[in-house]
Amino acid sequence: MTVFELALRSMRQNVKHYYLYFFALIFSMSLFFVFSSLQHDQQVQSMLESSDKFLTAFQSAAILLIVIIVIFTISSNQIFLRRRSREIGLYQLIGLSKGRVARYLIIENVLLGFGALISGIICGALVSRLFVLILMKLLSLDGLPAIDFSLPAAFDTAIVFVLVVVITSVQMIFMIYRSTLLNLFQADQQPDLSSQPPSVLASILTAIYAVLGIVLLGYGYELSGRMVDEQLVVNALMVILSTIAGTYILFRVTIKWCFSWIRRRKQGHLGLYNSLSLAPLMHRMKGSANSLTLITVLSALTITLVTMAYSFYYSAEHDTRLAMPDDFAFENRLQDTQAFTSELESKGIHFNHHTIQAIRTTGVILNRLDESSRIEERLIWLPAEQLHKAGRNVSVPSKGDAVQYNAGGLNAFDDIDLSKRYPTGIELQADGQNVSYTLNELVLENMLNSNIFGSQMVVSEATLKDIEDKMFKTLDFEKVQFDAYRISDKAELALASSLYEKYKLDDHFSYDFYSQYRSALELSGLLIFIAAFLGLAFLASTGSILYFKQMTEAEQEKQSFKTLRQLGFDEKMIMKGIVRKQMVVFLLPLFIGILHSFFAVKAASFMIISDITIPAVTSIVAYTAIYFLFAIFTLGYYRKVVKHAML
Amino acid sequence: MNVLNEQETVLHARNVQKSYGSKGGAQQVLRGIDLRILRKEFVGIMGPSGSGKTTLLNVLATIDRTTDGTILIEDEDISTMNNTALSAFRRNKLGFLFQDYNLLDSLTVKENILLPLSLSKISKQQADNEFTAIADVLGIQELSHKYPFEISGGQKQRTAAGRALIHQPSIIFADEPTGALDSKSASSLLSVMEEVNRKRKVTIIMVTHDPVASSYCNRVVFLKDGKIYSELYRGEKSRQLFFKEIIDVQAVLGGDHIDSV
Repeated sequence: MTVFELALRSMRQNVKHYYLYFFALIFSMSLFFVFSSLQHDQQVQSMLESSDKFLTAFQSAAILLIVIIVIFTISSNQIFLRRRSREIGLYQLIGLSKGRVARYLIIENVLLGFGALISGIICGALVSRLFVLILMKLLSLDGLPAIDFSLPAAFDTAIVFVLVVVITSVQMIFMIYRSTLLNLFQADQQPDLSSQPPSVLASILTAIYAVLGIVLLGYGYELSGRMVDEQLVVNALMVILSTIAGTYILFRVTIKWCFSWIRRRKQGHLGLYNSLSLAPLMHRMKGSANSLTLITVLSALTITLVTMAYSFYYSAEHDTRLAMPDDFAFENRLQDTQAFTSELESKGIHFNHHTIQAIRTTGVILNRLDESSRIEERLIWLPAEQLHKAGRNVSVPSKGDAVQYNAGGLNAFDDIDLSKRYPTGIELQADGQNVSYTLNELVLENMLNSNIFGSQMVVSEATLKDIEDKMFKTLDFEKVQFDAYRISDKAELALASSLYEKYKLDDHFSYDFYSQYRSALELSGLLIFIAAFLGLAFLASTGSILYFKQMTEAEQEKQSFKTLRQLGFDEKMIMKGIVRKQMVVFLLPLFIGILHSFFAVKAASFMIISDITIPAVTSIVAYTAIYFLFAIFTLGYYRKVVKHAML
Repeated sequence: MNVLNEQETVLHARNVQKSYGSKGGAQQVLRGIDLRILRKEFVGIMGPSGSGKTTLLNVLATIDRTTDGTILIEDEDISTMNNTALSAFRRNKLGFLFQDYNLLDSLTVKENILLPLSLSKISKQQADNEFTAIADVLGIQELSHKYPFEISGGQKQRTAAGRALIHQPSIIFADEPTGALDSKSASSLLSVMEEVNRKRKVTIIMVTHDPVASSYCNRVVFLKDGKIYSELYRGEKSRQLFFKEIIDVQAVLGGDHIDSV
């Protein structure tokens, strides 16, 4: 019998052992195919071309997806190989050389992979249409997507397939050449336990490690709160590294240490429930630490990603509105204003129009925290009385005082206490002499749309007059008239936005609220789609890895269940202990992952002005819900094993 | 015989039948077994392969169900109990010894032995006392913090014996307990079982194919084709003499090979 025949025959007879690995491969392939199809889709492509941000988002998502596929297949291949280690040992025992066994496994792997590739592409082709529909819906684009089977996507998927097959084959070769016959036969019974009490040195080391894990996590968390400065990249890297290392040590040492402590206190009176949870968990802590760390980190990543994307989507309108209080604004364009007004009237659109006379100068806002820094900037001086008449919620500052309005102000200074910066002074240069005013406070709101150039300073009419008198001769002095429009009806606003189109200048700064809001919505829609897609991929992989691992453990513990049932513990009692174990296996990484993501989201929240509690809670709840499905599947599998253990 | 009759019956099986498979092609393994076991007896069940000795043990030990017949243990009819009640019954009244020890790998010797006491209302102090007493008899005191993979087969089976004894069951069922042991560990385990039977007054029912093992019993029941073929009582005989008698019956029965002393 040739090696090829052996491979084929063994595959036919072992389908039930392979299905797990096979499923993992199919899943990865179809996921990538769907994503790649989207990337190659005409409609999506034309959108990608329109914006660099879209393109970058898609490309980074593709790379992340490949990374997760590789991690996922390596993990499941490892579990799969461990399940088959006895079989691999047996081939060598009957005299097959390591080279032949390796060749046999690789043939098998290629055949399996090829099957998975074909099935993955078929599955992917079936569901990709659905995904495009969801994407179009999220972006509120009209027109039915006409997605056909995408050849380039199939080609890309095939390349990823080759990558995966090469990596898993190398993994198999390593496993065959590096393990001895003895550990092949004992692969599932190498306990991570010792009855020897640890030496003093060892226990001190353990204690140091246990503390180190928590210190690393604490450091990562702490640094994440203040990482937005010039060294953002270095800081972010430090945060990620210390958090991952801390998580690993937490699982590898700290938690094991806690478990040992609890166990020692029991003095042998472990009881049934701990015998089914604490003991097997400690038994396999070494092997579990890797996968628990992986799952924690991926969970954190997924929740952060989805939360951020959903926050962008969720806050698209709110954030745009904060930046642009007026729907349309004209600066010194009296004719256009008149034309626009009459056009709105002729279409029967209800609107609110007001005019503000202001001035623009150059000046320096003094930095109280750094006296030496003097940055000249453009300042728009707005009369509070006029703003008040236009319906703005402003109070009139006393003479010589000013109030700055900036909706994005908090982002600029992050967590620095505003009370340390204000009140401060503003210095203007007029005819070689300095004129200064007091800047009382910063209000986190805009009085004018953010696309109007200059920092917004609100003063009284009298102060305005004073500034004008002193500054009108300077080179940079400008008198400006702002014409702002507000339209409350959404449909009328959309119509008005299309009317406004022809008034747009070529300077990229004369956009209106509605079109800005639309493009924010589109970008965040794409982001949320990519995040949800990746999140689903991550979740499915982490869930599957946990499920596969627990499945293997359930089978290894089958004899224990049988013994316990013979000793007179019934199914319900045994399941209680198992539920306790699964609580630890599933909840521990979930909780730590959520904690990680809490700090990650907090650190990244400077990108969003609006409150992100609702998006964060929504994504955590959604993630947890799907994650629990895997826990339920796992418990179902255990129940089956326990039920049939007696037979 | 008179002495035995005066004693209390702990297990009474009447017309026990067991068949496997569907009704049409059912294979009858036990064909009506009547067996009465008295308190403090140490009974061996022997017979050639396929005679139904393990099936009988499983049925008596409530691990498997009968097709027909009744089994009373301490006057409770186990053939009519539901699964939950059977589990509770096993937990409280029975102890087990298996050929493969069936210890939980992730538990230490002490944790394994104390396992049957979990869910019971015995205090920790009481359990500790009981453990110390049993571990002394079995000679496994020093091993109590070791894991199963760190001890020998004989020590594992002693641990299993400890687990079978800890909750003071009415009957201990042993399925080829010496099957995986070398002859020295086997005879030392059997001596311990004999001692436990005498001193702690525990009833033991043991399935074995080894005449040496069964020579430690008070009584040996021989099965053939799912029926009781004959019985031997040891009485006041020496173990060597009893062993010879067992060999003789086995020779007539045929089937299994005969082990040397």
